Amino acid sequence: MTGDSSASAAGWVEHLRQGGTTPWSAWPDRTAPAPGAAPLLPGAQQLELLRRINLARGSAAPDQGLADRVLATTAAGRGKADLPLLGLPTTGFGPAPVDPATVGAHELLRVASVLVADDLVALGADPAPARWARPWRRRFRLVGDPVLATGLREHLRGLGRPEGGPRPHVVALGAPLDELLARTWTQRCFEHGSKPWAEWLRFWRERDQLPARVDLADSVRRWHPRRPLVRVVTDHDRLPRELGVRSLPSSLARVPGADQAELARRVAAVVGLRVPTAERPSLMRTLQRRIPDSGVAPVGVPARERDWVASSAARMTRQLTRAGYPVVGDLADLAPRSAPAAVTGADDEQVLDLAIRMVVDPAWRTERQVRQ
Amino acid sequence: MAYGEAGAAVSRKVLLHVGCPKTGTSYLQDVLFRNQSLLREHDLLYAADRFDAHFLAALDLMTLPWGGIETEAVGAWDRLAAQVREWHGTAIISHEIFARATPTQVRRALDSLGDAEVHVVLSARDLVRQVPAEWQENVKHRSHITYARFLETIRDPARESRIGSWFWAVQEVPDILDRWGSSLPPERVHLVTLPPSGSDRGELWRRFSRIFGLDALPLDLTAERENPSLGVPETSLLRTINERVTSIIAPPDYRPLVREVLAHQTLSRGVASARLGLPPDAHAWARDLSRSWTAVLAERGYDVVGSLDDLLGPEPGPFADPDTTTAAELLAPALDAISALLVEGARLRAVEERLHEELREAREERDHARATPSYRVRRKVVTTLEDSPAGRGTLDAYRRAKGRIRG
Repeated sequence: MTGDSSASAAGWVEHLRQGGTTPWSAWPDRTAPAPGAAPLLPGAQQLELLRRINLARGSAAPDQGLADRVLATTAAGRGKADLPLLGLPTTGFGPAPVDPATVGAHELLRVASVLVADDLVALGADPAPARWARPWRRRFRLVGDPVLATGLREHLRGLGRPEGGPRPHVVALGAPLDELLARTWTQRCFEHGSKPWAEWLRFWRERDQLPARVDLADSVRRWHPRRPLVRVVTDHDRLPRELGVRSLPSSLARVPGADQAELARRVAAVVGLRVPTAERPSLMRTLQRRIPDSGVAPVGVPARERDWVASSAARMTRQLTRAGYPVVGDLADLAPRSAPAAVTGADDEQVLDLAIRMVVDPAWRTERQVRQ
Repeated sequence: MAYGEAGAAVSRKVLLHVGCPKTGTSYLQDVLFRNQSLLREHDLLYAADRFDAHFLAALDLMTLPWGGIETEAVGAWDRLAAQVREWHGTAIISHEIFARATPTQVRRALDSLGDAEVHVVLSARDLVRQVPAEWQENVKHRSHITYARFLETIRDPARESRIGSWFWAVQEVPDILDRWGSSLPPERVHLVTLPPSGSDRGELWRRFSRIFGLDALPLDLTAERENPSLGVPETSLLRTINERVTSIIAPPDYRPLVREVLAHQTLSRGVASARLGLPPDAHAWARDLSRSWTAVLAERGYDVVGSLDDLLGPEPGPFADPDTTTAAELLAPALDAISALLVEGARLRAVEERLHEELREAREERDHARATPSYRVRRKVVTTLEDSPAGRGTLDAYRRAKGRIRG
C-alpha cells in the first residue's frame, strides 16, 4: 500500500462508521492528512468486526452509535494486543501490522463477546415467574441433568410448585452419560462459564471422576434421603407423575447448540467482570432463554473420550443398582448411546456469526415474550 | 493547587506505575500497602483496601478474566480512579500488568484521572534477565512449555502465540512507553532502570523512593511479600509437575497448592541452585535488541532514573539448561516438594477433623433437643400427614398460621 496511509486509514474508519464494507486491502482513498495529531486508530480486530457487522446489516441505515461502540470495545481476555493496520507507518515496536481481513474469528470473538455481554448487562435479568406455593404440591428435590433441572425448577415455580420443602422426593434426572456430560457443560456455560468443552472433558477423564451434577449416585447421597423417597428417572415421559403434575412442556429438555454454548461461555467471563457475582446467574439464565437459535447441534463427546464415558456409565449404573434406589425407566439407558459425534465442539466462525447476529438484530433483547 | 495535612500547598499529581513485571513491583506495592496511613499523613495516596486492589483495577480496566479472580474486580478501576480524583495531593497507582493496556484502554485510564498532573512510571530490567524470569513466571502460572520452546515462541516476529503476544505486551519497553506516554510530555514519563546484578540491594529501592517521593519518610520496609525466583532444577521440576497436573487441577486449587506451597514457600528456598540465564545465541539476540531499545529511548528524552546502560544486561555466563536437568538433580527438590505437600495435607486434615468435630457437637446438641417424647409424637404426626396431599395442605395451613412459611 502506498501514499499517505494514515489519512487513508482515517478515511477507512469513517467509511466503516458510515456503514461501509470495503476491505482495507481494497481501500483506494489517498487524501491528505488532517492537520494536528494523527487520530487514535482502533485495532484491526475492532475494525474488521465492524466491517463484518456492516455486511450483516446489509442495506440498513448506518448506526454510528453502534459503530463507535464496536470501535471502542476492548477485546476480552489474554490474546493479541490491538493489531495495527498493514501499510501504516510503524515505530518498529509493538505487534506486527496485519490486513484486518486475515484476523481470525477467534480474535474477532474476543471483541464481539464483550458487545453481547454489555448488551446483556444493559438488558438486565428477566423476572423469574413465581406463583404462590400450593400447599398440596408434591415436595421434590431435583438432581442430575442440569439443563432439564434448571428448566423444570423454573417451570414448576411458575406453577406454584417450587423445589424443596420438608422430606422431599429426590428426583435424579438421568440420561445417557455422554449426553449428560454435554448438557452439564452446556449449562455451566450459561451459569458462570467453564473451560472449553474438550479441556473440561479431559479434566474429568484424567481424574477419572464425574462432575458433581453428572454423578447421580453421589448427587442423591448428598441429600441423605430415605431410599423410598428417591426416584432415578431415565424415562422422562413418566417424569410428570414423579413431580406431581399432569404434563411438562417438551421444550424444557431443549439443549442449546454448540455455538450458543460457546458464545455463552465467553459472555459469562465478561459478565463476571461487569456485575457482582450474585447477579451473574440470573443474567446468564436470561441469555439462555433469549439467545437466538441457529440450528447447530449441541456439543458431543469426541471418540477419544468414549471408552472412559462408557466405563464411567457402567460404574455409575453399578453404584445406583447397589444403592437400591427405585428406578423409573431402565438404568441401562445411562449407557452412552449416540454415535461418535460429528460436532464435538463449536466452530469459531459459527460462534462469530451468532454473536454478530445478536449485535445487529436487537430482537433477542427487545422481545417481550420469553420462551421457556 | 490544594492544601495538604500540614497546611502547605500541594499540587495534584498522579504517579501511574505501569510495569514491567519482574522488576521488584511486588515489594514496592507491599511497602505502599502497609504504609498507607503514613503516606496519607504526607499527602500521598495509595488507595488499596486489599493487597491486590490495583491488580483488580487493572483486570477491570482491561476486561481481563484471570482464573475467576476477576469476579472480585467489578467496578474496581472506576472506584480507584474516583479516589484518585478526590485526593488533594499525590496519588500512586501501581501494577505491572497495566503494561499490557491497549491504546484505547490507556486513553480511558488517563481520561478517568481528572485534571491532575499525570506521570507515567515504568520500571524496566534488561532482557537478559527478564526472559528467563518470564519463563519462570509462566511455569508458576500452570504452563509446561519447555525453555527452548518458550525462547522460540518469543523470538517469533509474528508474535502469534498467546505467550509471545503477552510477553512483548508487558516487556517491550519502547512500545509500552509509546502506548502510555505518547500523550504526555517526555519529562512526565519516568523510566526506572533496575541496577545490574550484584549491585547494592538498596539501590533499586532508592530509585523507586526518589521517583515516588518517598525519600525521608519513616516507612516500614520489611519485606513481607516478594515474588521470589527459582533455581534451574526447581523450575524444571515445577514444569514437569505442571505437565502432570495442569489438566486436572483447577486454578483455584493450583494457586494455593502449587504456586504458594510448592513454588513460593518450598522450591524458592533452593538458593544454592544454579540460576537460570540465556543460552549463548539467545543472549546475543537479547543484547542486540536491548541496544536498539536504549538507542531509541535515549532519543525520546524521558526522565531516566538510573542508567539506560542498565538495560543492556550482563555479559554471557555459564548456562544451565532446564530442559536437560537430570533425574538426580530433580531428586532433592522433588523430595522437598513431597515433604511440603505432606505437611500441607496434614494441616488440611487437622482443619477437616476440627470441622467434623464441630459438626458432631452441633448434631449432638440438636439430637439432645429432639430427644423428648413430645418431639417424637409431633414428628410422627408430621411424617404421617406429609404422605398425602390433604395432609400436606393441612400442614401448610398450620405452618402459615404459625408464620413459618411465607407464601
